[in-house]
Amino acid sequence: MRSISLIFKQFSKTVLLLACFTVWGISAKAQGDPAKGEAIFKANCTSCHKIDSRMTGPALGPVISSETDDKWLASWIRNNQALIAAKDPKALKIWNEYSQASMSVFTQLSDDDIANVIAYVRADWKKIQDDQKKAAPAAGAVAEDKGPSDLAVYALIGVIVVALIIILVLNNIIATLERLIGGQRLLPVEAEITESEVAADKYALLKRILKNKKLVFFIIFAGTIAMCSWGWVALWNTNVHQGYQPVQPIKFPHDLHAGVMQIQCQYCHSGAYKSKNASIPSLNVCMNCHKTVKTESLEIHKIYDALGYDPQTQKYDSLKARPIQWIRIHNLPDFAYFNHSQHVKVGGIKCQQCHGPVETMKEVYQYSPLTMKWCIQCHKRTDINMKGNAYYENMIAVHDLIKKGVKVTPAQLGGIECGKCHY
Amino acid sequence: MLAMNKYKVLGIAVVTVVATIVTSSCNDKRSTGWEYAPNMYEKIAFDPDQANPNFKDGKTAQLPPAGTTPVGFTRFDYPKTMDGYNQASIEVKSMILNNAKNYTDGKQLFLAFCSPCHGATGQGDGTVVAHGFPAPPSYSKGQSSRGGAMKDLTDGKIYHTITYGLNAMGSYASQLSPEERWKVVLYVHHLQTL
Repeated sequence: MRSISLIFKQFSKTVLLLACFTVWGISAKAQGDPAKGEAIFKANCTSCHKIDSRMTGPALGPVISSETDDKWLASWIRNNQALIAAKDPKALKIWNEYSQASMSVFTQLSDDDIANVIAYVRADWKKIQDDQKKAAPAAGAVAEDKGPSDLAVYALIGVIVVALIIILVLNNIIATLERLIGGQRLLPVEAEITESEVAADKYALLKRILKNKKLVFFIIFAGTIAMCSWGWVALWNTNVHQGYQPVQPIKFPHDLHAGVMQIQCQYCHSGAYKSKNASIPSLNVCMNCHKTVKTESLEIHKIYDALGYDPQTQKYDSLKARPIQWIRIHNLPDFAYFNHSQHVKVGGIKCQQCHGPVETMKEVYQYSPLTMKWCIQCHKRTDINMKGNAYYENMIAVHDLIKKGVKVTPAQLGGIECGKCHY
Repeated sequence: MLAMNKYKVLGIAVVTVVATIVTSSCNDKRSTGWEYAPNMYEKIAFDPDQANPNFKDGKTAQLPPAGTTPVGFTRFDYPKTMDGYNQASIEVKSMILNNAKNYTDGKQLFLAFCSPCHGATGQGDGTVVAHGFPAPPSYSKGQSSRGGAMKDLTDGKIYHTITYGLNAMGSYASQLSPEERWKVVLYVHHLQTL
């Protein structure tokens, strides 16, 4: 009996101890302070992680919330490299899944810091999920209500109001005219008017106007001038696309990127400084940022579709890729040669001088006429800055030779460049 | 009879006026307007960013065939791995001179291509970061995610990162030529001392 009670005693001790540990463990899990954790998270983790979606690293919300072994989590966060080096199976699995991209080590973080971060991520993920649950029914209701857009409705109302005003005004004028004509008529009796008389009445006003030769001449004269000036303007504007603002396949807002974000034109149109063509950026330039930001936007998903990119797995499928067909706005005729680098790099002209305030345009339009007159005007009025400008060095050197009285050959003026003969 | 006619005429007039206003004001900016002899204006030669029916995928800009090297192309035979990164750190050295011209060029290129995220002084506080893009580490004070301090990054490591990208940063090989990349490296070395 004694031995049994002893065993029982020891057994109960272990159970108690275990229970104690579990309670301590659970309390440890809830121990972290989310508020402190948020600051640490924002300082150390946000360059590679988001809570609700995959970025460089996994989406931390679901990953950390489903992981129960806090001790393992803490050792991974502190030094993932050590775990990988020790061939920890869980660590190796993550490392290989994220194509062996190395995560920074955070040996400077204390146990409390890490517990705070974990607590923050779990709390925030719970909040996000709760918000989503709340938002789900509301979103359904909104989708059902969706009718024609506000703008279309207002435009329609506007048109109707304008039309009504025009009708009222014209009605008034006609009533006044009728009164005038009616005043000259001698006691018109409605019932006795025959159809031919109605017809005669209808054209009475017109006949009276036609008899006034000065008025007829004036109308014809004004009409001719109006037609001629319209024709003149129309002919001059033939093949001039100034103001052209086509609808592009993706609503790329220049005012946001170049205006608010202050990204230089060159970042995307990197050819402007070194090539004839300013170049439309290839989609990898968009992905420099949009792999990470605005990933939920429908317009950004057009980029993903064109690349065959799957934001969930962050993998590209070249078989699904297809080019985006942007619509060209600035088009010079085939018989005119224009070189961007010559104007931007050598001439030092700002992009806005020809393209207008693109940094304020939500939708880009053609700002300049791009006519020959417009080119010539600028070429006649602009001063050349030759100082420190390598493009003109040769010209200045030859000029100095001429001033010294040395003979100059065509070769010194670029006369044996290939393109002079073989163009 | 008279009254009916009056309303008919009025109605037609109003509809015509409104229709003209609506159609002319909407269509105007969306079309290029009148064109005469368009075959003199439309290009026969293809620009790199134009559609091209002569190729299967409809693009003018084609990739070079596999195994070929374009004239003037600088090779960089270090793969996009940790080993390639460390190898480049040891073996690759800048191919441009550290002079005033390269430094100012590098500064301009850095401001155009890097400063939106890294900030004008390389502290990771660019305008795009201020609008919510994840901040990169500071060149002078930060820690690299591949180990070591950012201020100790070598020529080869910085060049490797510009060429291939890292974490949230994309590859800049399509926007910067090898020479331009070296100019940027030169300026980044200056920012590491700030």
